[in-house]
Amino acid sequence: MKKYLFIFKTEFINSLQYVKSFIVGSLSLILIIYIYLNLWNFLYSDPESLINGYSYTQMIWYILFTETLWSCIKGRKIVRDISTDVKNGNIAYQMNKPYNYINYILSKTFADFTFKLLILLPAAIVLGHILIGNIPNFNLLGCLLAIITGILGTMVNVLICISIGLLSFFMEDAAPIYWIYSKVILVIGTLFPIEFMPEIIQPVLKYSPIFAMNYGPAKLFVDFNYDFLIKVLISQVIYLIVFYIITNLVYKKGVKNINVNGG
Amino acid sequence: MLTEVKNLIKITFLSTKYAIMREMENKVAFIMNVLFMILNNASFILVWVVMYSIKDNINGYTINTILLLWGIASGTYGVSRAFFRGAYELSNKITDGKLDAFLVMPKNVLIQSILGVTPSAFGDLLYAYILLFISGITPYKFIVFTLLLILGGIVDVCSAIIYNSLAFWLGRVDSLADSLTGFVTMFGTYPDTIFNRFVHILFYTFIPVAFIVFVPLRILINFNITDLLILLGGSSIIIILACIIFYAGLRRYSSSNLMVARI
Amino acid sequence: MSVIEVKNLSKTFKSKVKGKGLKGSIKSIFKPKYKTIKAVNKVSFNVEKGEMVAFIGPNGAGKSTTIKMLTGILYPDNGDIKILGLDPRKNRKKLAYEIGTVFGQKEQLWTHLTPYDNFKFFGAIYDMKDYEIEKKIEELKALFELDEFINTPVKSLSLGQRIRCEIACSLINDPKILFLDEPTIGLDPVVKENIRSFIKRMNKECHTTVFLTSHDVGDIEKLCKRVIIINNGTVVLDDTMENLKYHYLNKKIIDAKMKEKINLDDEKGIKILKDKGYNLKIEVDLKEKNISDAIKLLDPDKIIDINISNTPLEEIISDIYKKDK
Repeated sequence: MKKYLFIFKTEFINSLQYVKSFIVGSLSLILIIYIYLNLWNFLYSDPESLINGYSYTQMIWYILFTETLWSCIKGRKIVRDISTDVKNGNIAYQMNKPYNYINYILSKTFADFTFKLLILLPAAIVLGHILIGNIPNFNLLGCLLAIITGILGTMVNVLICISIGLLSFFMEDAAPIYWIYSKVILVIGTLFPIEFMPEIIQPVLKYSPIFAMNYGPAKLFVDFNYDFLIKVLISQVIYLIVFYIITNLVYKKGVKNINVNGG
Repeated sequence: MLTEVKNLIKITFLSTKYAIMREMENKVAFIMNVLFMILNNASFILVWVVMYSIKDNINGYTINTILLLWGIASGTYGVSRAFFRGAYELSNKITDGKLDAFLVMPKNVLIQSILGVTPSAFGDLLYAYILLFISGITPYKFIVFTLLLILGGIVDVCSAIIYNSLAFWLGRVDSLADSLTGFVTMFGTYPDTIFNRFVHILFYTFIPVAFIVFVPLRILINFNITDLLILLGGSSIIIILACIIFYAGLRRYSSSNLMVARI
Repeated sequence: MSVIEVKNLSKTFKSKVKGKGLKGSIKSIFKPKYKTIKAVNKVSFNVEKGEMVAFIGPNGAGKSTTIKMLTGILYPDNGDIKILGLDPRKNRKKLAYEIGTVFGQKEQLWTHLTPYDNFKFFGAIYDMKDYEIEKKIEELKALFELDEFINTPVKSLSLGQRIRCEIACSLINDPKILFLDEPTIGLDPVVKENIRSFIKRMNKECHTTVFLTSHDVGDIEKLCKRVIIINNGTVVLDDTMENLKYHYLNKKIIDAKMKEKINLDDEKGIKILKDKGYNLKIEVDLKEKNISDAIKLLDPDKIIDINISNTPLEEIISDIYKKDK
C-alpha cells in the first residue's frame, strides 16, 4: 500500500508543473456553466418554478457540480495513455514491476484528480455563488458528504475508463468507444438528472452506474437527505467492486492474449 | 505570379492527397473513426430533444433551426480539421522550431504549416450533410450550404492561425490556443440568441463564431444581402488579419534574439 | 565569385535567467533577467564552387546558428551573407530553389510513400516539369544505387537506405549547394562509409558544393578537403585537411595494461598521461616517434591489453583554441 501512496505523492508534485495549462483549461468549465446558465434561463419562464422537480438554481448547481468533477479527470487521456502502453508493449514491462498495473494507474489518476479538485472545486463554488447565489437548502455537512460521494463516483468513472483503455488489447482503436461512453454520460447524468429522461427508462437508469457516478452525488449536493445518501453510497460500493473486478479481468485476459501472440 | 499560385495549389493538393492516403492505409480504422464521429455528434442531439420537450422554442430557435445550426457548426469543423489540421497544432510547431523545415522550402510557409488531415473530421463533414438532408434539402440549399461551409471552415482555420501565432510572442501557448479554438467550436453549437449583447460583440471579434456559424445560418434560412455583406466583410478581415499576424510573427521568429528551445 | 560569402556575421541570443526556487520563479515572471550569449561573433569565410567544406565545432559552438543564417531560417544581427549572390534574408524563396538541405535528425520524406513518389512530390515543390523530374530520378537512381528499393515504402527501408534516399531527394532540384547537418548520425560504420562514398561521388560528378557539419571525425577526414572550426561563436581554424592533419591530428593515445612497470620517462615524443600501477596511458607525438616504435618501447610481450586511439576532436579543438589565444 505504501508504494501506491508514494506514486500518489510523486504524481501530485508532478502536477504542479502543469498548473498554468490546467488553469487555462478550466476556462472551458466557466464557459459551459455560463452557456447553460443562459440556456436554462430561457427554459424556466419563471425562476421559482420546478421542472421535473428541480428549480433553476438547483439545475445550475447540479451542472456545476458534475462538470467540475468531470473537468478534474481527463478520461480521454487515461484511455489514450493505456492504449499507448498496450500498443507499444510498455505494459509488458510493467508486468515485471512489483505492483499491480491497475492500482498504479488508479493512484496516478487519483493524485492528479485530487490536485485539480483542490483548486477547481473551491473556485467553482465561488463562481456558482457569484452567478446564481446560494446553494439551495444549504447544509454544510450535506455538501461535504455529497463531495465525498462525488469523489467515489469519479473513481467508478475512472475504472470504466481504464477498462475501455484496456480494450486496446483486443481492438485497434479504443478511442471511439470512449467517445460514445463519454457522450452517453454527458447527456444522462452530467447535463441532465435522470428525472429528465423518458419515464420508461428512468427505473433502469436508477440502477445503472450513472446513479453512482454523477447523478447520485450531484443530486445529493442540490437536495440533500440521508436516505438518498445511503442509496448512493450502497450503489457506489457495489459498482466500485464490480468495476474493479471487471477491470482486472480485462487486464488478465488481455495479458494472456499478448503471451499467446508473442508480444 | 499566376503560375506561382497554380504551383501552390498543386502542392497543397498533392500534400493533402498523400496525407489522406496515409490515413487510409488502415481502411477499417478510418471508417470506424468516421462512423463513430457521426454517432458521437448525433448523440448530442439528445440534449436538444430533452430541452425541446420542455419548451418548443428557445428564443427564436426551433428544433429545425438547431439541426441547421449543428449542420453548419459540424460542417465548418469538418472542413477545417479534415484538411488544415496543421493550423491547430501550429503553436507547438513554432516553439519547437519545426517551422525551419518549411523555411528551407521554396514554397509559402503558412500554407505548408497549416496542412494536415484528421480522419474523424470527415465524419463531422458527412454528419453536416446528413443534418441538411434531414431538415429538408434542395439543390439551392445544397450549393449555398457547401459554399458557407467552405468559407466558414477557412475563417475557423484563420482564427486558429491567429490564436496559435501568439506563440511567436508568448512562447508555449498550446493550452490557451486550444481553449480558444474550443470556445469557437462550443459557442457555435448553441443558439446565439440566448446570450446578451456583450457576448454578441465577442462573437464578432475575439471569438469570431458569428462569421463561421451564426451569420451563415441566417443566410441559409433566409437569404438577405445585408447578412451576405457582413459575412464577406468579416471573413475577409479575419483572413487578412491571420496572414498579417502570422508573417509578422515569422519575421520575429527569424530575427529572434530570444533563445527558444530550438535545435 | 564564391558561392558562399560570409563577412563579419554575428548573432546574439538572450536567454532567460531564472532565480533559484519558488521565489526566483515568481520573480522571473515579473522582472525577467536575461543573459546575452554571442552565438556567432564576427564570422567570416568564403567557399568556392565544388568545394567540400567541413564546418565543425563542439556543441553550442554556433554551428547550427550559422547554418540557419546561411539557409535563411534565421536573420543575422550583423554582417553580410551572399549565397550564390543572393541575400538569404531578402531572397529566401529564390535561394531555396538553388540549395538543398539534409538535417540529419529531421526526416522530410513521406514514410508511407515510396522513394519514387517522394521524388515526384519534392520535384513538384521545386516547380519542376514532369519530364525533368523523371530524368533526375534516373540520374539519382544510378548515382545512389536505389534501383533495388525505389518502389518500396520508405518506412520499410533500413536506416541506411532511408538516409540515402533523404540525401538523394535533397538533390532533386539540382542544388548548387548542399547543406548537410549530421548526415551520418546514428548509422553503423559500414553504412557511414557507404553514405560517404555517395556524397563524394555526387560532388565529383555534379560539382555540387557541400557544406557539412558533423561530429564524426571520420566524415570530416574522408570527405572534406577543407575544414572550418568554430568555437564559442568565432572561427578558430580555416585550413585544408592536409594542414590540420599534419599540425594537429598527429598524436595518438595508447592506453595499455602491462605485466610490469615500464619506464618511459626520457623517451622523445612520448608524454606520460597516466602511470598508475600497471596501467599506462601515454601520448605519442607522431612527428617525433612513429607508432610502431612506440609500441616496441612498451614491449609487446609485456602487454596484457592495449587500446590505441586518436586525440578526440574536442581536445584538438580546445588545443587549437588555446594556441590561438
